[in-house]
Amino acid sequence: MSTTSGGGDDKRIFLRKASGLIRMASPFDTFIFNIGLVSVGLGVGTIMFYGPAYYAGGNLLVACIVAGVAMACIAFGMITWTVTLPRSGGIYVFGSRSLPPFLALTLSLVEITAWLFYCAIAAYWIIILGVGPTLAMIGYVTGSEWAAGAAAGVVQPWPMFLIGSAILVLSGVILAAGMKRYLLTQKIVFVTALIGSLLLIVVLLGGSRADFMTEFNLLMDPILGVENAYDAIIASAKENGWGADGADWATTILVSNWAFLPLIGAAFSIAIGGEVKSVEKSQTYGMLGAIVGTVAIWLITIALADSVFGYEFLGAAVYNLLGGVGIATPTDPSITLMAGILTNSWLVTLLVSIGLIFWMWMWIPGMHTFAVRALVAWAFDRIAPAPLGTISSTRHTPTVAIVVSVIVTIVFMALFVFTSFFKTIIILIEAAVLAWSVVLLAGIFFPYTRPHIYEKSPIARRTILGLPMMTVACALGFAASQFYFWTLFFDDVAAGHATNQMLIVGGVFAIGVVFYFVMKAVRRSQGIDVTLAFKEIPIE
Amino acid sequence: MFWKKRSGGDDNKLVIFFASDLHGSTVCFKKFIGGAKFYGADVLVMGGDMTGKAVMPIAEQADGSYLAFSGGRTTTLPDRDEAEAFAKRVTDMGFYPATMSEADYRRLKDDPATQDALFRRLVVERVVEWSGYVGEKLQGTGVPFITAPGNDDFAEIDEVLRRSPHVQYHEMEVTELRGLEVLHCGGSTKTPWDTEREYTEAEYRERFDRLLPQVKDMRRCIFNVHVPPHGTVLDQCPELDENLQVVFNMGTPVQMHAGSSTLYEVIETHQPLLGLHGHIHEGRGNIKIGKTVCVNPGSVYPEGILQGVLVTLAGGEVRAVQMTQG
Repeated sequence: MSTTSGGGDDKRIFLRKASGLIRMASPFDTFIFNIGLVSVGLGVGTIMFYGPAYYAGGNLLVACIVAGVAMACIAFGMITWTVTLPRSGGIYVFGSRSLPPFLALTLSLVEITAWLFYCAIAAYWIIILGVGPTLAMIGYVTGSEWAAGAAAGVVQPWPMFLIGSAILVLSGVILAAGMKRYLLTQKIVFVTALIGSLLLIVVLLGGSRADFMTEFNLLMDPILGVENAYDAIIASAKENGWGADGADWATTILVSNWAFLPLIGAAFSIAIGGEVKSVEKSQTYGMLGAIVGTVAIWLITIALADSVFGYEFLGAAVYNLLGGVGIATPTDPSITLMAGILTNSWLVTLLVSIGLIFWMWMWIPGMHTFAVRALVAWAFDRIAPAPLGTISSTRHTPTVAIVVSVIVTIVFMALFVFTSFFKTIIILIEAAVLAWSVVLLAGIFFPYTRPHIYEKSPIARRTILGLPMMTVACALGFAASQFYFWTLFFDDVAAGHATNQMLIVGGVFAIGVVFYFVMKAVRRSQGIDVTLAFKEIPIE
Repeated sequence: MFWKKRSGGDDNKLVIFFASDLHGSTVCFKKFIGGAKFYGADVLVMGGDMTGKAVMPIAEQADGSYLAFSGGRTTTLPDRDEAEAFAKRVTDMGFYPATMSEADYRRLKDDPATQDALFRRLVVERVVEWSGYVGEKLQGTGVPFITAPGNDDFAEIDEVLRRSPHVQYHEMEVTELRGLEVLHCGGSTKTPWDTEREYTEAEYRERFDRLLPQVKDMRRCIFNVHVPPHGTVLDQCPELDENLQVVFNMGTPVQMHAGSSTLYEVIETHQPLLGLHGHIHEGRGNIKIGKTVCVNPGSVYPEGILQGVLVTLAGGEVRAVQMTQG
């Protein structure tokens, strides 16, 4: 066994002038890529929105920490995968080296279906949690009837579908314009979103429960036609069944689903593995940094929001509104709305809202990119129609794959907006978590099943408890992903296991298998054996 | 008839397995040779840049251990067995291990001329070794191994490859291949590294002016040209500054094209059947310039993974292009 020293010696290597591959993404780039796909603001928005309302008694701070630890385990497993196979394409790359080809494709299809579904959800949330409450708050503060009317109008099905579709198309246009423009817009959006989040923290630091109650009652008493609207909302929610007696571990674990869902984005840099320089360092800092940074911001914001707005109030307001019971605010009581009420300032409302909207926006082109890369990889491997791999000669972007991805998300948007069935399901996340789980399971055995590949990995000689590092990391990741698969399975609010919804999940898997075998048959008729793209050439 | 029968049957079908830029990786080279049998290829074409980029000294210490460079730091290898295992690993990754005493290493590290001589000797030795491997594996199979030089290839390997009975090494030639023609043009346009075989666009114009008249039928001609055509996805890479660092603009890596515009014009004007290119490792893809299919398999040789392209030709047209990662 060799040992290493941390440097101090000269570099014992003689290099000559030679051209070659330049990897671009630094640890910081990787961190930005991941934290953008976590969507820090969206996480806060959904945890604070759904958490107190549907998981009364659950400790949101503990939930964030639990989700962060679990995601760190999954990231650890994914880091060992991407360090061993540092190529772009996500779990498709890992699966194609460790699993039967049909399963690799199926898992990849399941994964991108889930992420594209999340694109549509993000566009939906931009309207529901961002645009609508912002317009409503501006209407209240400025007395603008137009703003109040627009707030009510944008959440109607057709306007919502059209605005959501426009958002999705805009993402496609930016991606089609080239990677350079996409990265530039993402960095501008990231900085703006971060400023919005920091402003929210500053606003909360400067406020108090008494300030908020005063401002809220001043604004809402006449609108709701009650005295002391703050307390009235809480009382009416309790009368209608909301509430819990003290902290509850089971509920805390369930509410951690809402922290775990966005945190999955912290490992999305597996999709750009081939473009990351100093892959081990960049991916480790990029993934774990995104998890730690996100959870830290969440803990601060949630603690402050609890202190200023009150856990009971946040839960009761959403519970009443979504349940259609008791006294409810006229628009979604998002954290944006609450911050606006606290400051009674349309400018603060607007800036905090833009931050939240931009966080949600970052998901959309990010998820589109993830899907586009997979589609192009399939086309290269001839298991998808060749046009999906076509690159624009002017923009150098995979235009067809981008258009297909955008169309799929618009279809999802329609299903989400116009059908009550799809409106409540986030169940596809279970399918994606299951897909990652299978790849992590394969990673446990990879050092033994593919030793000739693993021995070239920079981590090949590292062991934990006498086992290969990859085996241990993927075992931890597999356990964590299984934990959240079952947590989501038993959480009817976040995902659940209704029969018809499980059929959808099963259907996506089935489509993947059928798609593979149909394409295999088509290609065979063209004289192409698609299995060749997946196999390693033996050295005889 | 509701469908049109393709001209020509599959009698004259030809499957080419093409890869490029292996840069000394023995494991990738062996995979490439194995690709003939594995993929059922009729011809193997290597697009150049066979030679590697770094010598890895393994310095023996007084206590019998060895010091080497690995993973960005100095590694102690406790005994000869570990040193040999290390040498095999780095050979597969494209490095040239050189076992020597610590005193020799210290002398060598301050002597660029001797380093260069060592480099060239090790490169030639590996090319000799690879040539032997080609003969061992392909002799009697009827599968030819065709190659042309890349910009990084030392001139010293030309003679070795030309002498090899198992390798068809061509530069600035048009050759015949089973009823088709192959135009061979190695090297590349100018790079920031000032490598062995670089040409200006004007020089490329002169080179093609010499080659093009030798082609009898452009519709049946394959271009085996190391550099890719300019302004396409096949030649897209990050821009570097004078210190060979990636140029960033507003935090975003600036992309540029490093191919040959002369080649693009030649392909656009003359429309050969197929273009086989390498050079830009990030430029993996296949495109069409007019009717000409152009491919670049890209390269990730340090990972021991062989990126290649299977091209099926039949009836005077490109029937299928399939990227591989073997």
